[in-house]
Amino acid sequence: MDTFPASLLQLAITAPIIVGLILLAGRNLPRSFASGFAFGGFAIPAVLGPWLLVLWANPSTSPQQFVSEGFWGFGFALNGLGAPLLAMTSLIGLAAGVKALTQEVEGRNTYLGLILFMLGGTLGVFGTNHLVGFYFFHEFALIPTFILTLFWGGEGRRPAAMQMAIYLTAGAMASLAGILIAIDVSGVDIAGATFVKVADGLQNAQHIPAATGALVLFGLGTLASLFPFHSWAAPGYSAAPTPVSMLHAGALKKFGLYGIILLGLSSLDITGGSLGTWFLWFAVANVVLVGFICLAQRDLKQLLSWSSVAHMGPIFLGIWVCGVSGKADGLDAAAFLMVAHGLSCAALFLLANAVRARAGTYRLDELGGLATRTPVLAALFVAATMASIGLPGFGNFWGEVGVFLALRAQPLWLQAIVASTVVISAVYALRAVASTFFGPASEALEKRFASAPFGDLGWAERFAAFILLGASLTIGFVPSLVTKSVNPVAAGITTYSQHNAKAPVKAAPAAPVKR
Amino acid sequence: MPSDLSSLVHWILFLPLGAAALSALFLRRAGALAAWFSTAVAFVIAGLALKLLTSATGDVTWHVELAKFGGVSLGFGYLIDANARLMLFVVSFVAAWIHLFSVGYMKEDPARGRFFAGLSIFMFSILGIVVADNLLMTFVYWELVGFSSYMLIAHYFDKDFAAAASKKAFITNRVGDLGFILGIAMCLSLYGTVDFAALKDHAAAAKTIPVAVGALLMCGFLGKSAQFPLHVWLTDAMAGPTPVSALIHAATMVAAGVYFMARVSFLLAPEVLHFIAISGAGMAALAGLCALAQTDIKKSLAYSTLAHLGIMGCALGLGHPELALMHMAMHAFFKATLFLGAGSVIHGCHHEQDMLKMGGLLKKMPLTAATFIAATLSNCAVPFLAGWYSKDAIIEAAYHGDHIAIFAFLALAALATCLYSGRMIRLVFLGEANSEEASHAHESPWTMTLPLVVLGLVYSVAGGFLAHAIIPAGSLKPIEHALGEVSFHLTAPSTIVGLLSLALGFCGALKFYGTVRGADALQVVSPRTYHLLEHRWMDGLYRWYVDSVQRRVSEFIAFLDLLLINGVAVRWIGGGVPAVLGYLSGRSFHRGQTRAYAFWIVLGSLFLAWFLIAR
Repeated sequence: MDTFPASLLQLAITAPIIVGLILLAGRNLPRSFASGFAFGGFAIPAVLGPWLLVLWANPSTSPQQFVSEGFWGFGFALNGLGAPLLAMTSLIGLAAGVKALTQEVEGRNTYLGLILFMLGGTLGVFGTNHLVGFYFFHEFALIPTFILTLFWGGEGRRPAAMQMAIYLTAGAMASLAGILIAIDVSGVDIAGATFVKVADGLQNAQHIPAATGALVLFGLGTLASLFPFHSWAAPGYSAAPTPVSMLHAGALKKFGLYGIILLGLSSLDITGGSLGTWFLWFAVANVVLVGFICLAQRDLKQLLSWSSVAHMGPIFLGIWVCGVSGKADGLDAAAFLMVAHGLSCAALFLLANAVRARAGTYRLDELGGLATRTPVLAALFVAATMASIGLPGFGNFWGEVGVFLALRAQPLWLQAIVASTVVISAVYALRAVASTFFGPASEALEKRFASAPFGDLGWAERFAAFILLGASLTIGFVPSLVTKSVNPVAAGITTYSQHNAKAPVKAAPAAPVKR
Repeated sequence: MPSDLSSLVHWILFLPLGAAALSALFLRRAGALAAWFSTAVAFVIAGLALKLLTSATGDVTWHVELAKFGGVSLGFGYLIDANARLMLFVVSFVAAWIHLFSVGYMKEDPARGRFFAGLSIFMFSILGIVVADNLLMTFVYWELVGFSSYMLIAHYFDKDFAAAASKKAFITNRVGDLGFILGIAMCLSLYGTVDFAALKDHAAAAKTIPVAVGALLMCGFLGKSAQFPLHVWLTDAMAGPTPVSALIHAATMVAAGVYFMARVSFLLAPEVLHFIAISGAGMAALAGLCALAQTDIKKSLAYSTLAHLGIMGCALGLGHPELALMHMAMHAFFKATLFLGAGSVIHGCHHEQDMLKMGGLLKKMPLTAATFIAATLSNCAVPFLAGWYSKDAIIEAAYHGDHIAIFAFLALAALATCLYSGRMIRLVFLGEANSEEASHAHESPWTMTLPLVVLGLVYSVAGGFLAHAIIPAGSLKPIEHALGEVSFHLTAPSTIVGLLSLALGFCGALKFYGTVRGADALQVVSPRTYHLLEHRWMDGLYRWYVDSVQRRVSEFIAFLDLLLINGVAVRWIGGGVPAVLGYLSGRSFHRGQTRAYAFWIVLGSLFLAWFLIAR
């Protein structure tokens, strides 16, 4: 076992948590000292995450790499799906951290410390191979999310944090039940319940309780804002402080999808039977109904929050079609979109906050003509918008188009409904751009500028936006950076689910599967 | 294939991308530098394209796999056949001169860096469409062309009309692209590949091609080439700077749809071809007539472009993709000249675009006038000028194809072309100046007139002959092949139609529009006809859909979501649980939410413990 990358992985996950602890403990640490520490906590994973993705090169040797058993009690390891997600999270973490460092808030050290916890937890989710660790890290990231939203959030933070807590707790409980049943049925000892072992065990299980798949799908689906369990998402992201929205909508939310793929899709047959039908229709609703809800939004941050829900639709559909077709391309595309969406979505939340900092509002009818005053902000916002609506060159394009292509064997009307997202998303996104930046400057904006002149995007926000958009462009131009590690996972899961479909009752020992 | 040719294509494709990135990142404030840099790159590309055109015959292919999604390969590569060579040359050559023109035209513009970065990213995208060797990469560039067009239309973004026009262009194009991507999925599903070469083999092996494949791919063409019913964006797109209108919305981007259809012509079922032919011919006639009811010189030219795109579409539908490409090439030259000429006129008249306020510019702007008139005559298909070779051949093809309706539409289109051309010449260049601006008009600087002279006088007038001199025999094959298929002589029906249109339309318009001064003669004589042609019926329909259907539906769904899912589920069902929890955890604790969460965690832990013990 190669211990060097394994310790890099440990460092990437623990560094932000340790720095977070220091900041929480040292609430009165001098400002410059705390800033330096916090920056280190954000920057270390951002260096290590992409590095680990590049190191994660030779999938044929083992589906899990950089394994360190027993570390923190459950062990770390990076699988092919976790590797790009970890890299993405680390970059969003740096961008969110840079943003947070520029903010003037009360209890700054606590604020930064909690954000570092959130980051460390999210990195942990993607950097562990153990189901209990996976769940633990999610909670570890989620609790700071609630606290941050509740105390440092914007307008409407109390009801939003409340609603988010209820939904996500309920979702987490349902998924926990599903996970525990799955572990139990698989016959694996809970102390050694890694994704691979549980999936292997489920292959050989005589009987899997029917509810298991539903608990996992809808429980984890709630966390990933699957329709109709999405109501928490838009108000939650809107009310949260910007670095929290970036990390939550961009990275942490992918926890649900990650679990659905590695547990649900691989061994619980969530796309079969009536459960699969519900899954399909809910995912379609994410695309169409939520897409239409986006069209009705009149507030920039609400719109971004809703569109972040809508963009989950194609990801769910990619997962769904992988299950029903037994082909890996849908899952590859969905995983790609997970990574790309995280980057573009975080960039948009970051830049929308910059708009508000200047114009003093998120209301689209009060905004307008900002581009003349802030050309760089406008250019970056247009770029991030284009990324989110799947312009080629940015990563989102490959993900979206990959999902459309993966649906090719489905009825044409279904394909058309799903692909209609290219039009719907263009309509609401370009409307937002036009009403925020184009046209003559609004009266309110001119008044505000006259009373308190504001400048273009500062260096910190530029840096953060460049990281996110640069990463999106990088995977847009070199998609193999992501697919190289995802492909074997998707192929492995396809083998599993085909195995499932062909032999519902497993009499023979499971075929050796590559994962 | 020799590898040096594919590396030539690398340069042609990636030079403009590099130029765009450099301009956008570093030359934003150095407008003049960005302008000359971008122009120099454009001329280098034109030179490279010429080299490619003259260097060898046979296809240049190159392919690399970017990534894999399951069994689907995302490939990047080039397929340079004779059509692609021709298109590469036409696009890069016209573009280079338009770049030079822009140097003068945009001299006063504070955002020159952005403008030229936009032109360069556009060059990358359109050249990508030309060289791409598979459907997916074509789609990639296709979308990028849409984006660059969006960016350039929105150049004057602080004006409401530019903001609206850019949005409209992008979204209308995306409607077409929706069909396009479904078509790609269908090809992949049916044939297991998206590579042009492999698809061609499959299509040759298959007895029939499903109508849906062609129909869906055609949607992309309808959007990009502004064909009915997705034509509504093109006239609004004139909100961009005039060189953009010339390059993108007249000479190259809209022609990309035609090029693409020619490239996949083997996937088009007869029904699809028939539809394209009929709608193209109808479009040609109608748009030509609509050009009569525009007073903005650029909008009138935009309708003229719609008409010519209709003619190209018609040629495609008649089964003559080579003729369509040939007309595309000829049209690119004379329409670029017309738009640049219009730009020169607008520049000279201190940004006046209303033709009714022009007049008498022949004496004040002689070079512009001479080139504009030459290009107009080419547009009217005066025999032996560039436009005549291709347009007459298409009309002739319709006649010989026994498509009487199409032939009639095309004849009407020819008449309409002559009418609006005569009107334009009369209103802009002849007579007396009708406004202060026009009376103080001045000729434009050399950076603007030189491209006019090169593109206009040389190519519009002598394009047909020069084509033979410059373009080697191998690359001309498609054109000669096409011309050989239809009888082509001065006594053909098409020539008779053309000459009659010229006599009646062009001369008639010159006379008719001289009768009223400072107003449109047709509007004076028959206001209802004028209104009928001026009114934008499809725009009205779409506006009704957006305002009355889409907006209401979206608000209704948002309301339902709030009421049923959020309201009922959270406030009643979900709200009941925390209410109980709040009661249990003591309402005095003012942050009950956090407490409730802690409660759940405890509950979860108990559950976990029970579970572990029970098993």
